[in-house]
Order: sequence, then C-alpha cells, then structure tokens
Amino acid sequence: MDDAPSMALIVRRDVVMSAGKMAVQCAHAAVTCTRRARQHGRLYDRWLESGARKVCLAAEDEAHLNELLALAEAHQVVHALITDAGRTELPPGTVTVLGLGPAPRRALDAITGSLASW
Amino acid sequence: MGLRSWLHRITAPSGGVDRVRGPVKLVCVVNQSLKMGKGKMAAQVGHASVGAFLGAGPTHAGHVEAWLATGQKKICVKVPDEAAFDRLMTEAKALNVPFHLVRDAGHTQIPAGSKTVLALGPFESETLDRLTGELKLL
Repeated sequence: MDDAPSMALIVRRDVVMSAGKMAVQCAHAAVTCTRRARQHGRLYDRWLESGARKVCLAAEDEAHLNELLALAEAHQVVHALITDAGRTELPPGTVTVLGLGPAPRRALDAITGSLASW
Repeated sequence: MGLRSWLHRITAPSGGVDRVRGPVKLVCVVNQSLKMGKGKMAAQVGHASVGAFLGAGPTHAGHVEAWLATGQKKICVKVPDEAAFDRLMTEAKALNVPFHLVRDAGHTQIPAGSKTVLALGPFESETLDRLTGELKLL
C-alpha cells in the first residue's frame, strides 16, 4: 500500500540531542499528532490499519520548522510542534520536533518532499 | 481537570476505576543489537509510544489520562538484545503494567519481524523503576 497515510517526525538539525532524547521528542510528537488525528475518522483508521507509518526527517533550524508548519496549516494537515520542557540536555522552551500527519501521502510529500531523512 | 475527565470521574462505575497512586511515566526499552540509526530509532520509539498509549486505553484509562495530563513523561533505556524483552514482559504482566512490543516491518535497515522497542506503561514511576531501574539511559 504505497499510498497509505503516513506521519512525518521532523527534527531540527541544529539542536544537538542524544539518540534517546531525540527519540523521546519524536515520540512526543507522534502521540500528540495521534490524539489530534482521532477526530479524522477514516484517515486515522487507515493509518493505523496500514501499520501507523512514521518517518523521521531533518529540518535546518527553528525557522525552517515554522515554514513547514505554515505549509501544514495551508494543506490542513494535522500537526504538533514540540517544545522541550528543558529538564535535561536543552534549555527550557527549545523547539525540537514538528510532527505532521497522519496525512495522505501526497499531502505529506507536498510539504516534506525536499527534506532529507535521518 | 478537563470537563470530560470530570464527567468521567463522576459517572464512572466505582468498581472498574483504574486507580493511579503516584506520578506516571512511559519507559521505552530499545534493543541495541539491531544497531539502528538515530532516525530509525526515533520512529520505532514513536511506534512504541503510540502503541502503548492506544493499547493501554481500555485497561488502564486512569493511567493514560494521568500520563497525558502531566506532559506524557517518557524515558529511553537500552538492553543489549531482545532476550531481555521476555523477562521484562513477564514481570510487567505480574505487576499489571501495560506494555507494547514493536516488531519492525522491515522496510529499511533491519530484518522484518525484528523486535525493536518495548514500551512499558504508562504506569507509576515507582513500579517501573523496579522493572527497569537497572537499565542504562539511551
């Protein structure tokens, strides 16, 4: 199912995090997007049934994440911008990850097509 | 407390309430033997967290609600290989701790069916620390 809905977890490349820290931030984005998507019945169900696909991508910096966020809003794609509470590794309030979707592949590709994967 | 949780609290049958006795968290245990890249690992921990949160809903509604309301605290720890998962799942069952094991579909990097991450919780930190306190942070 190549057109199955997917979720993108987009991480700032300019913020240095350990693998565990980055994974936790991505998981935060994934859970928050999942909660927000529950009201989009059919798309949400198709996403879960097709393996709840997720990809991890890279953005340059916070400004880049904000550009992607604006595109997500324009495309009406579910999104969640994650800000770290700053208990470990990072200063409080650091924006770390943007989660997008679950969304149809085409909508997601239109926003994230130019991004490199991790 | 939100309106929905308040309504739930006053209308839920008292026998079936999922009591929460302290701060709750989610622990994601990562299988180090697979040598996953940073992005791959992040996606797998994402799977584990979403799976744990959805899976625990029916049996541990109170814990899920408390976890979400307190900033969905998560930590990542590591084990050398998947053998440790069996022991952790047996102990989790005995302590009524919800868990979710992720098997990779094998599209990238690792063989299909590999056990990548075991999520334990959301559950009381105190209990989870007894299960995973010895494991190293990732």
